[in-house]
Amino acid sequence: MNRKIEDILDECLDRAFAGDTVEDCLAAHPSEASELKQLLGTSSVVMQSCASIIPDPAFKVRAWHYLGAIFHDRFQRIKSTGAVPIWRRAWTMAMAGVLVVLLSCVAVLAASTSALPDEHLYPAKLAAEQVRMTLAFTDLDEAKLHLEFAERRAYEMVEVAQQGKADSLLALAGQVAEHLGEVCVTDETKGVMEEAAAALAPAASLSAETEDRDDGADVEDLGALLSQSREENLQALEDALARAPEALKPILRRTIDSVAKDYDRTISIVESGSSQ
Amino acid sequence: MPIEKDIVSRAIKGDAEAFAELYEKYFGKIYRYVYLRTGNHAEAEDLAQEVFVKALEAIGSYRWRDIPFASWLFRIAHNQVVDHFRKHGKVERVELEDSVIAADEPSPALIAEQRFELRELRDNIGKLSPAQREVITLRFGAELSTAEVSEALGKNTGTVKALQYNGIVALRKLMLGDRER
Repeated sequence: MNRKIEDILDECLDRAFAGDTVEDCLAAHPSEASELKQLLGTSSVVMQSCASIIPDPAFKVRAWHYLGAIFHDRFQRIKSTGAVPIWRRAWTMAMAGVLVVLLSCVAVLAASTSALPDEHLYPAKLAAEQVRMTLAFTDLDEAKLHLEFAERRAYEMVEVAQQGKADSLLALAGQVAEHLGEVCVTDETKGVMEEAAAALAPAASLSAETEDRDDGADVEDLGALLSQSREENLQALEDALARAPEALKPILRRTIDSVAKDYDRTISIVESGSSQ
Repeated sequence: MPIEKDIVSRAIKGDAEAFAELYEKYFGKIYRYVYLRTGNHAEAEDLAQEVFVKALEAIGSYRWRDIPFASWLFRIAHNQVVDHFRKHGKVERVELEDSVIAADEPSPALIAEQRFELRELRDNIGKLSPAQREVITLRFGAELSTAEVSEALGKNTGTVKALQYNGIVALRKLMLGDRER
């Protein structure tokens, strides 16, 4: 009994998806070769076009991380014990594949480490930070990264202050506060850090407060705002230090020192500008 | 297939590594299927992610004996796309963004040619009957077998093969028409 052309076409498409050529299938069905050749030619064009539709690797990583959190909530089989949960290790192992692609951009990332706001490599620097945050194993790792990035923003404040960029300066002060506000370490310290984050709110809103200022914003006001931001950020960090888990304390102390120094240098630069 | 059955069984029990394997295998296909239906990069990303969220929420109720896993997953994807169009009061669009095209092609000319072909394909798929369009996007975009497509759509395999055949014939005519213009 002759097979229907629909069945033969279907078989040839299965073979094509498995890697066979059009010619292989035509040779297997010589009596239908004429019609099959046209249909498989069209199918090849469709297959090639479809193969070029690829999701953005960075989005794939983000979506994975998002799913990881849901997976964790759904299958909370492992309590936080300080050890790296298996679900996170598995997630990270699989992410490593995607990372290979991202690491091909390592030269750009290396060049971006010293980039400042308004420079063209600065978005790459922030993207690299986001990737590191995505790959953090534990809540503690995430907290450490937020502290590191808060230090970076504080260091950048010094640099942009030297360039006299008041807008960037205040935006960075807000970002320092945002990073510190994100440091929710473990269940037992989450409350502490949330209080700290609430205390940081005035500093975080510095940028908004100053949006209406002229470019030549009063330098004394700027210095006062920075001093206020410094006090609030450092006080919040000190409060957190008093009640933080031991594992985080050394990093918190280092962050307090570093952020304090950077604020002092920034304020000094701003004030010396006002006296010139 | 027995290997995938084992992976799915482990994922149902909460094995993250198994779920990661399924994600790695199917995310690109889901994205491609959704993109062919919506023609929009951002919508395809959101919907593909939402398909996996739904899959994660429902995986405990999945039973291998009822339906292959791929069919089950693409049934979710199909429902997401239908809901998306219903919610936004949209009809399926024919325009296609350029940003989604694979960026590692060797030359700008080839990229331009691919973009043109993909736009033409999406345009022509949009002109198929809804049933043909569904079968063609599942078969070529998601690379499902005819049996999996039939399970995903709740149609018998003979119907799916006929829709596939008629869809390809229609696409051929549309493509030849485009070339002659």
